[in-house]
Amino acid sequence: MTELQKDPITRGDFLGFGLLGTVVGAILTIPPVAFVLSPVIKTDLLGESDIDEGWQEVASVSDIPTDEPASFTIEFPIEQIYAGPDVQNQFPDEKRSDEEFTLKNAVWLSWKSEINHDTGKIAKVERPSFLDEKSSGFSESEREELKKNINVLSNSCAHLGCPVRWLINLDGKGEFLCPCHGGLYDINGTYEGGPPPRDMYRYVNVKIEEDGKLYVKHGYDIEPGLDKQQPYVV
Amino acid sequence: MIGRARSQAADASKFVVDWMEHRTGVVTHMEHFLYEPVPKRGAWVYTLGSACLFLIALQFLTGILLLFYYVPTTDHAWDSVYYIMNDAYFGVLIRGIHYWSANFLMAVIGMHMAQVFFSGGYKAPRELNWVVGVVLLLLVIGLAFTGYLLRWDQDGFWASVVGMKIGSYSPFIGGATIHFLLGGDTVGPATLSRFFAIHVWLLPAAIAPLIGLHLYLLRRHGVFGSESEYTERLAKLHETQRLEEYSRLEMGDDPYDDDDDRYGDNGSRNGRE
Repeated sequence: MTELQKDPITRGDFLGFGLLGTVVGAILTIPPVAFVLSPVIKTDLLGESDIDEGWQEVASVSDIPTDEPASFTIEFPIEQIYAGPDVQNQFPDEKRSDEEFTLKNAVWLSWKSEINHDTGKIAKVERPSFLDEKSSGFSESEREELKKNINVLSNSCAHLGCPVRWLINLDGKGEFLCPCHGGLYDINGTYEGGPPPRDMYRYVNVKIEEDGKLYVKHGYDIEPGLDKQQPYVV
Repeated sequence: MIGRARSQAADASKFVVDWMEHRTGVVTHMEHFLYEPVPKRGAWVYTLGSACLFLIALQFLTGILLLFYYVPTTDHAWDSVYYIMNDAYFGVLIRGIHYWSANFLMAVIGMHMAQVFFSGGYKAPRELNWVVGVVLLLLVIGLAFTGYLLRWDQDGFWASVVGMKIGSYSPFIGGATIHFLLGGDTVGPATLSRFFAIHVWLLPAAIAPLIGLHLYLLRRHGVFGSESEYTERLAKLHETQRLEEYSRLEMGDDPYDDDDDRYGDNGSRNGRE
């Protein structure tokens, strides 16, 4: 090692250069890295979301068929770079863009059903009987019962997020099938076969108004043990 | 008449070439760079690397042209691609070349890798060139992935979304990587901007110097695997060049003023293989 020290450096100089190097290095690297990684910092460290937190209307409960699911699209407004209100409402009289910046999702709504395990067919549908008489003006307890018995499922497959669809086999058994790799779920979104690691994603924040309209907030039943979503669902 | 014009043109070109050679040595370098002895049998398989280079050059050229009309915003990206494909002069051709050469590039890279692998071209002393080649492959895959989203149609959009969801399974960094690519926690305008920046600047800027390094290492060690075959052939080539030089000197010509064929030394085919 001694022959390397042709130009001896004192301990103080060494520390000084080290400190200077650290400061200059930080000045040079922190701004560009923070500039590029700001979405990661905002999402992962500060826990912010680009997706609107409010309620979005999905459908009326009377639109849900008795023995099969129906899909509805919902659009959550998003605030991301120039789509945010800071930019878009800069000049309220002049619209900055005609684009509606939204996240478009599809939701499968169905009544919770008991499945006959031998045939795979639906044995019993938990559809409240008062729905035959009225389609609005539900009381508090009726709304609770409706909410309890509706499956609000994301159409995003729990494998890699392709959109699933409802298919009925020749023998009359209905299933959600993912077109990408053949993931299978029953009407309640319970995993039946194929590569998905879990059941279909459910919306956790659901409410039903007196007029029978169903609303959701963006958010899924991510298992508490897993702090990461796998796959990432948007 | 034609003969005289031709000899005048030859003189002029020889003058330019010699002038450049004298000041920069560029001609010698070009010859060193462009001429490579390869075994006679199966010589065509050694063109696969050049084919990759050609296709990447096409990507750069047509990509620059496409940038004149493409707009990376969510409200106009699809419109601008539609304009290129339907209204712009030769838009179908330019974008078609960009699209198809990208597709062929993946196939040709696969063939190039297979050729290097089966001929043992990755063995010492060429290991590092294999490593650089693999990095180039990953960069090309990244370019293909990011380019797909830029069309902002259903096909490219969902392919990219599924691709990112595959990436989200990566341990530890999966979530952060997805948020970096998405530019937030959902697909939106930031996603398109980011993919555009990565596709058009970041990865091309990374790929260009690595291609240079790949070619430098290639020229340093030659193209094919068998060391003895290579050195033998190279020695033979140098021997013929030397004998030719001798014979010219014996004929009393100054080798640096050899203009018998009116093409100059750099134009003669004898010195090359």
